Amino acid sequence: MFKYLFAKNEDIPPGSAAIFFGFSSILWFIVGTGLGSFNAAKLAFPDFVTGIEMLSFGHMRQVHVLAVILGWISMAFAMAMMYITPALGNTKLWSEKLGLWNCFIWNLGLSVGLILLWFGVTSGREYSDIIWPVDLAIIFGLLLPLGINVWMTIKTRRTQGIYTTNWFFGAATFMVIIVFTVGNSPEFFQLTGLTEAYLTWWFAHNVLGLWITPVAAAISYYIVPKVTGNPLYSHRIGHLHFWSVVVFYSTPAAHHLMSAPLPEWLKSFASVEGVLILVPAIAFVSNLLLTMSGKWKMFVENVEIKFTITGVLLAIPLNMQGGFQQTRAINWYIHGTGWIVAHAHLALLGFSTFLEAAAVYYGLQTLLRRKLYSLALANFHFWMLLIGFATYWISMTIAGLIQGAGKIYEVPYIDVVIAEHPYMIARWVGGTMVFLGNCVWLFNMWKTMRQGTLIPAGRLPHELAYER
Amino acid sequence: MSWKFDNPLHSLASEDQNVAARELWEGESLGGIKENNNRLPQPVVGLLILTIITAFLVTAPLWGQRPTAAIYEEYIKLMDTPEVKSIADDGKKMEYIVNKVRTSGSKWVALQERHPVEMDDLRIIRSQIEELQQKNAYMDEYTVVGNKIVLANFEGNWRDDGTRVRTQPWWDKGYTIDIFFIVIFCVSVVIVVKRLPNYSWVPDHDKSH
Repeated sequence: MFKYLFAKNEDIPPGSAAIFFGFSSILWFIVGTGLGSFNAAKLAFPDFVTGIEMLSFGHMRQVHVLAVILGWISMAFAMAMMYITPALGNTKLWSEKLGLWNCFIWNLGLSVGLILLWFGVTSGREYSDIIWPVDLAIIFGLLLPLGINVWMTIKTRRTQGIYTTNWFFGAATFMVIIVFTVGNSPEFFQLTGLTEAYLTWWFAHNVLGLWITPVAAAISYYIVPKVTGNPLYSHRIGHLHFWSVVVFYSTPAAHHLMSAPLPEWLKSFASVEGVLILVPAIAFVSNLLLTMSGKWKMFVENVEIKFTITGVLLAIPLNMQGGFQQTRAINWYIHGTGWIVAHAHLALLGFSTFLEAAAVYYGLQTLLRRKLYSLALANFHFWMLLIGFATYWISMTIAGLIQGAGKIYEVPYIDVVIAEHPYMIARWVGGTMVFLGNCVWLFNMWKTMRQGTLIPAGRLPHELAYER
Repeated sequence: MSWKFDNPLHSLASEDQNVAARELWEGESLGGIKENNNRLPQPVVGLLILTIITAFLVTAPLWGQRPTAAIYEEYIKLMDTPEVKSIADDGKKMEYIVNKVRTSGSKWVALQERHPVEMDDLRIIRSQIEELQQKNAYMDEYTVVGNKIVLANFEGNWRDDGTRVRTQPWWDKGYTIDIFFIVIFCVSVVIVVKRLPNYSWVPDHDKSH
């Protein structure tokens, strides 16, 4: 990477930035899930690594969360944007050099931010735990350069039309900058109390809703038609999906604070909009599943489609849960329990991770011009991810229901802790499976880069048979 | 940009624009990706309408309400009656009170069933409820939160005496804003998709790919 940072833009091979972002994202995924596994072990086995403050749960939890969101998910998004955006515009990335600097600063900035968090330098606000100077660095050093590269690539495209995926990429890179700027305003302007709580959850809600969800969906809009060769089922459903995300997801987020003394009308407003996230979800899932028509055997045979369609299918339980769990009727029971932790992992480790993994698998093969080293290892990775995630999700959902019952019926806390202990062990097992699967994935992609079969010019990776 | 309003549900674009859109659609390759022009399947439209209706029904403040002080007034009143005092067991006392209130035709029966209490709970909140009664407070405006009774955080209409109604409304301005959002969204999306060639037109993907 370093030899290209100071090279002329024309001398940098196309796709370099995407490749570095791709491998960085896998590395951060390993770091993030490794920390997750470690943290889960501390909950499952309370005597595991005690007495060292730096390794306490309170120091490490937010490092895990942000390593996954800003490291794995967001860098995989950047990777996807840097090869899909130009591909859809029949052009090159506007600036490979900016992309490489973006990747370098992203890795550096995230490392600094997470080390500070690890040392306890934190804003204390969930999901926006990083302190405000680093927040500013994220806005201006990470997100804005990414946005400029995406917007300029779209602007300099060689097509008249803009495909659905690029609507989402262009809009999401803009919206995430707004989300980071407004969402962190309590730190910039010393806002406290209910305002701080409200903006904290406005940020958390919209990082999910206006960044992770639309970009993950955009990836599947590219992968499914590209790999299956089928046309996207409906351009007009794409419009319905895009605009419903923008309108219904961007709303107040007060449904994250249903028990707080916010105005009730604000909760009513947010709660209806919360259910209405099912509108984009229905549009998205129906469009992609109908696009698969006649190509369902690829769900079994093709790695990229297997990951993508699994992610699309996981959007169904995700949005059913997300839509209804925030209503007054249900929220009182599950708020503040492991149910929410399970739901967050359904969103990030289930729905979105499978889509990002598909983008990285497909992108690295395409850009490196190398066929995947081992189909068997990719399938192993898929099943470790799916079984590990499912174990985690189911066990934490059950634990959440136990905690909800304990909360409502005023069961002594220690009894609830004892009752949910088996599920904490299951959580650790599931999370560790994901971590181990990711280590295998890195090995497979490294071998792909070194020893994968060369893809002849004019061919695409999915058109070639797997050799191992 | 010209508009056509003679058959708005068919197309809002002029024939020239539709011809140009069809040529672009079929003639341009977006990185090898093709798109069809299918309408939203009717079962999915039904599902979307159901979602919007459900969103209002399921979020109505009728659900998930906290218990108000009003629903326990009748319980408190019965606590010192000779019939209740003559019962030794707390569980049986509570059973008697609940049955007595239910058979007397209380308007709070449904909420009482949803928020059951025990004698110890009544003993804890009794003094607070009696204090509010002495002040002629609007008891349904006070919420029972654990062992405390607090004024609910709703701001309804002004009364003649200068106070505000604090009971949870069945409708509030949040829902009005929601309707505004939904209407704007539906109108905007209809306009966007009706500017495209009608869904009866099937693009020929062999032209450019």
